[in-house]
Amino acid sequence: IKNSPKKLPRDFHVKAELHKTQRVVSVCQMYFLDYYCDMFDYVISRRQRTRKVLEYLNQQKTLKSLPDDRLNSEWVGYLEKEHDILRKRRLKPKNKDFE
Amino acid sequence: RENGVVTDFNYTPSHQKPFLQPTAGTTVSSHQDLKQIVEMTLGSEGVLNQAVKLPRGEDENEWMAVHCVDFYNQINMLYGTITEFCSPQSCPRMIATNEYEYLWSFQKGQAPVAVSAPKYVECLMRWCQDQFDDESVFPAKMSGQFPPKFIERYVVQMLRRLFRVYAHIYCHHFNEVLELNLQTVLNTSFRHFCLFSQEFELLRPADFGPLVELVMELRDR
Repeated sequence: IKNSPKKLPRDFHVKAELHKTQRVVSVCQMYFLDYYCDMFDYVISRRQRTRKVLEYLNQQKTLKSLPDDRLNSEWVGYLEKEHDILRKRRLKPKNKDFE
Repeated sequence: RENGVVTDFNYTPSHQKPFLQPTAGTTVSSHQDLKQIVEMTLGSEGVLNQAVKLPRGEDENEWMAVHCVDFYNQINMLYGTITEFCSPQSCPRMIATNEYEYLWSFQKGQAPVAVSAPKYVECLMRWCQDQFDDESVFPAKMSGQFPPKFIERYVVQMLRRLFRVYAHIYCHHFNEVLELNLQTVLNTSFRHFCLFSQEFELLRPADFGPLVELVMELRDR
């Protein structure tokens, strides 16, 4: 960073004023705002879902209403569902280049 | 943990890590101030530190894969804003400071060659895209499996290369980024990238080459 040229290129302001540049800059800012809102939303929601499932399983365990292997398979089933949701997030169509 | 005893219903070792460890700073606990959190510098106080943790019970490979795609998209966006300023004329070589130059190998077995920064980024992005499209590396089907050693063989390599775009932007276009008022976005993205790499020990300090100092600074913030 120290070695980065101190001066802006001569035609910087001309290019910065370009409609095209302004547009990609605002698209970029919106993209990040959107991305982080969505990402935190996912992380929080997922944590809440997991907490509920664990509460339920703990409750069932204390009540001894379900056999242990059933509890485990319910937990595994829940994790598989979450895994599918996560994979879909990776595959959802992303904003392409906007170029 | 919440109610005293928490039974872990999953017994695989990689799943034993708790999802969220308490951090000193801000805790993301509800949706309410979400927007506010996002808007004030994301970088501050442990919000991102929590978000990179492997969710309880999740497959580590899938978590890596999602992040590879996310960082790829982020870097695409960031670099897209400076394409006007990063040309074969302004940046005839893919460098980060004068000490680091990154070469591209066009064919397996052939010696890597020096290319301009925009050319390098273009090749890199296409290479990433090819990997994402390869069902045997990044499975898209719900039943698809990741290849063995997915993290060592694919994730680490991809992150190592994606990092170089951050390095080039920081070292040679930071003034432009400042003028365009994108420094917060760049710092957030890079910090997220570093925290993720650290959490899973994906990159070595040497991989951070020209930005080692910045990485330290972001970590301590």
